[in-house]
Amino acid sequence: MSIAAEVVTEAVIAEHRHGFRRRWYRTPSFVGGVSILGTMVLLAVLAPLVTRHDPTSQDLLHTLQGPTSSHWLGTDDLGRDVWSRLVYGARTDLRVAFLAVLFPFVIGTLVGLVSGFYGGWIDTVTNWLVNIVVAFPFYVLIIALVFALGSGTRNIYIAITIVGWVSYARIVRGEVIVAKRREYVLAARSAGLSDARILFRHLLPNVITQAIVFAMSDIVLDILAIVTLGYLGLGVQPPTADWGKMIADGQTFLTTHWELSTLPGIAVVITALGLSLLADGLADLLRPE
Amino acid sequence: MSLGGYVVRRLAHLVPIVLGVTILVFFLIHLVPGDPARTILGNQATDARVALLHHEWGLDRPLPVQYEKFMGRLVHGDLGSSLFYGMGAGRLVVDRLPVTLWLIGFGTLLSVLIAVPLAALAATQRDRLPDHLVRAVPLVGLGFPPFWVGIVLLLVFGLHLGRLFPVGGYGNGFTGHLHSMFLPSLTVAFGIAPILIRSLRASLLEVLESDYVTTARSKGLPERRVLVHHALRNGIVSTVSVLGVNVGFLVGGTLVIEQVFAVPGIGQLMINSIFQRDFPVVQAVTLVFSVMVVLVYLLTDVAHALLDPRVRFE
Amino acid sequence: MQGKRPLFFLAVVSGVVLAATAALAASASPTHRAATPKRGGSITIARIEDSQSFDKTNVFQNESIWITEQIMEPLYLAGKDGKTLNPWLATGYSQAKDGKTYTFTLRKGVKFSNGKPMTSADVKFSIDDARAQAKGWGYLDAAIKSITTPSPDTVVFHLKFAWAPFLADIALFANGIIPNHFAGQSRKAFYTHPIGTGPFMWDKRVVGQSVTLKRNPFYWQKGKPYLDKVTWTFVTDENTRELQLRGGQIQVDEFPPFNSITKLKSTPGVTMNLFPSTRTDYLGMNESYPPLADVHVRRAISYAIDRAAIVKSVLFGYGKPANSFLPPQVPYYSANAGGLQYDMTKAKAELAKSKFAKGFKVTLLVGAGAQVESAMGQVIQQSLKGLGINVVFKQEDTSTEFNDIGKRNYQLGFSYWTMDIADPDELVTFAIDPAGGAHSFYTGYNNPAVVKLSHKAQRETDPTKRAQLYAQLQKQAASDAFLNFLYYSPYRWATSSKLHGFYVYPLGNYHLEDAWLG
Repeated sequence: MSIAAEVVTEAVIAEHRHGFRRRWYRTPSFVGGVSILGTMVLLAVLAPLVTRHDPTSQDLLHTLQGPTSSHWLGTDDLGRDVWSRLVYGARTDLRVAFLAVLFPFVIGTLVGLVSGFYGGWIDTVTNWLVNIVVAFPFYVLIIALVFALGSGTRNIYIAITIVGWVSYARIVRGEVIVAKRREYVLAARSAGLSDARILFRHLLPNVITQAIVFAMSDIVLDILAIVTLGYLGLGVQPPTADWGKMIADGQTFLTTHWELSTLPGIAVVITALGLSLLADGLADLLRPE
Repeated sequence: MSLGGYVVRRLAHLVPIVLGVTILVFFLIHLVPGDPARTILGNQATDARVALLHHEWGLDRPLPVQYEKFMGRLVHGDLGSSLFYGMGAGRLVVDRLPVTLWLIGFGTLLSVLIAVPLAALAATQRDRLPDHLVRAVPLVGLGFPPFWVGIVLLLVFGLHLGRLFPVGGYGNGFTGHLHSMFLPSLTVAFGIAPILIRSLRASLLEVLESDYVTTARSKGLPERRVLVHHALRNGIVSTVSVLGVNVGFLVGGTLVIEQVFAVPGIGQLMINSIFQRDFPVVQAVTLVFSVMVVLVYLLTDVAHALLDPRVRFE
Repeated sequence: MQGKRPLFFLAVVSGVVLAATAALAASASPTHRAATPKRGGSITIARIEDSQSFDKTNVFQNESIWITEQIMEPLYLAGKDGKTLNPWLATGYSQAKDGKTYTFTLRKGVKFSNGKPMTSADVKFSIDDARAQAKGWGYLDAAIKSITTPSPDTVVFHLKFAWAPFLADIALFANGIIPNHFAGQSRKAFYTHPIGTGPFMWDKRVVGQSVTLKRNPFYWQKGKPYLDKVTWTFVTDENTRELQLRGGQIQVDEFPPFNSITKLKSTPGVTMNLFPSTRTDYLGMNESYPPLADVHVRRAISYAIDRAAIVKSVLFGYGKPANSFLPPQVPYYSANAGGLQYDMTKAKAELAKSKFAKGFKVTLLVGAGAQVESAMGQVIQQSLKGLGINVVFKQEDTSTEFNDIGKRNYQLGFSYWTMDIADPDELVTFAIDPAGGAHSFYTGYNNPAVVKLSHKAQRETDPTKRAQLYAQLQKQAASDAFLNFLYYSPYRWATSSKLHGFYVYPLGNYHLEDAWLG
């Protein structure tokens, strides 16, 4: 693992070495993050209740309208209700981003755990793969994969997973290499515990914190990647409401109807803020004593 | 281990990585659906004409044979000819490399200029309002995609506020580049700054509460000096680290920025050649890119070791 | 475009001052059209794509072709109406009674940009080379048997058979005239900096950035061109192109999107031009998908598409619903072709007559990032829902989309056509003749009666009879609903209001020798 990556991990740990261990309700960033994200999830879940219009139904006689009592945030170029599309967009994007992080998280953590623990040829091969993926231009890989697999949410998961597991593998591997020299692991080994037990009962809980913290910021990067794919036309399929496509489509109206692309952008920022707070809070709470 | 030995060993590691990258890019780009012949022929693509072009380009041969030819040429430093432009793919890439390096270099510089003072402010005002603001506001740079930020910057600084900067392009000569590349570089900086501020603030907090700062303080060194000294030093270390980790993402991210600002760099070449299925150019760009990333990693680690005595060569 | 710049801060300050001065100057003297063209100045044209190649005989990309047309010119050229053919490097021609021999008289005093006079040997060489290009445009010259040059200013074309589109084919850019034997260079070398008789000559190219041409001092139209230099740049993002135009960095913006037209029309300093075009947009239906092989289903779909709504919401009113697969700017277009127009009652009746009366699922290919296709697709999706036809989107990038449509690996897909010659034959053969090499516009449509009409029209040299044949053909094709003709749209070019005489012809080409800066 490159020194650079270790240092970042170190820096993240360092940030949370201060202060004392708090309970969750006394960790402001955690509370802040949870309330922001909770509200968004709630809105997404209750979408049919908080909106009055179908997010995909068009009204070609009332396109590009400003806010009215019926359309709180106006309508887009096809006469669709912007507020509905924002709320339903949260459904799409939160789900896609969460799932797009889940798979690389699980795969990367397992790979990092095994390669860090056993070392040897497993580690060499893993490192080689990791380095190839890292040295490969992210967007070439993503775009080529989306081209090859076709666009659509399922293929976005696959493409992001193929690229994304690398970060988790690196983080977890680095942690494992440090942790396996610690006394509790050495003690467990000499006590004759099985590898699986050591790995999952003793190592995993201790090394996973960093991966979880990283996952929070990774969700933001994934939303951005999905937005960029939307700009290149390779994102979520229309007419499904999605913030990325809304920003990309609205960008052509930037000089006349700036709100069309700015509102979904703000939604992404709020999500990013929530996740970032949550990451800080989690790091505080999950920090081993 | 000595620095020289370390560098040589790391460079030797480059070979299997680059080999892996060539295999991956070759098969990936050839297996992607789409056909350069149909892209170039457009509506005039009859089956007969497509076959003629395939034969001319050697695309009618089996893939392994094509890979063998590609590697054979590569060993002699020949990256093949662009299917779209009909000129050397290597030269196309080399001509555009400086543009992207400008963008990344200038963007990095601007991001440091933004991040260091803000992180220092946040670290000294921990958990107070400035800290919260510094941690929240830059997230706008993460939330709004570069193509949006870029257009807004162009609107404001390229058109409305007295046309301070040209609307896109690369400019001529050093000052011309500086002038033209300011807005695209600022867009790059908006993307990196949030990450940089975060890690910089964290490392500053660590330093501020470490023993040697307490010692420095007890010696009566002014707080400001302690901060500036450590802020700068850590600023450089953090920047190097963050850039090292994110360089791949960064270069990838420039492709959209180059698109918006009509900057003729590697990213633009990359995206156009993928869209056109210009296989030799995609291969050339990827190869150059991966060598660059690996080298940046190496440089990062070396620079890091030189800047931070606690890190030793592995 | 940009001169040397002083230090950065100086530039900022002077920029502010300059802008202020410019603003004052603009408010002081309102722009007015000067009557007589002025000589001098240079312009920049920003395009959506970079030019690929300047080998006019083998290139299919408009962004390349339109530049080659400034350098190389053919014997005849289509006029502003897109229908008449005017003498250009030739002054006239005579036709033998059997319709198989054409004798052209060349214009006197025409010189190439290298100063050498143009002769019949150059013409013979140019067209012999063009028609030999199998992977290029050679097929349009297939009727030519041989070319002879009885005198330096006479060229005789011997045809294999009477061929009505011949003069239109000769006016194709690929048949532009170049010096004999590529002026002593290799074919490849010649086309990296081609020589011709056109108003502009080669200056320089920075691949991926720009192409620059300069005035041809030997141009045969006295006093023209007016401009010293023309530069074509490459700016992908449409917003950036618009801002560059508004900021005065460029003078011509290629294809601003439909949604910006209204705004650009009222933008000071900008002229929003809409030129009549030969562009027709279609929704193709692949007959290898069983429901689409049923003529009633195809008619039902055609009836269900609200073209007026598409024109209004997707084109913002800047277009016209199409009624034939030929556009109005093409000779022999029939206004009474009877393309099926929006009528949900008729649509339901037609679907009821088909074997798929209960509706079915169909996939629509949509170009990734193609705003117009995506918006249009969503309108069509909603309309067809009313028939019980469930349209599923499949987004693909342009190359994959082309490939899938070209290989007929699709069900519904968008396509369009712009004419290359001032004759319907090229498009008709492409669209309805399975032998045309494109499976009847990739649909698989095959109606022998229609194909027969097309073959007859190709050999019919009497314009009145030809018009009747094409009218009949268009009517039958519309009734077979083999393609959905969606709309006709104008060419959209936003220009600086200082630029005069910029006109885009229905075939898409522009004559920069007429353009000047006021």
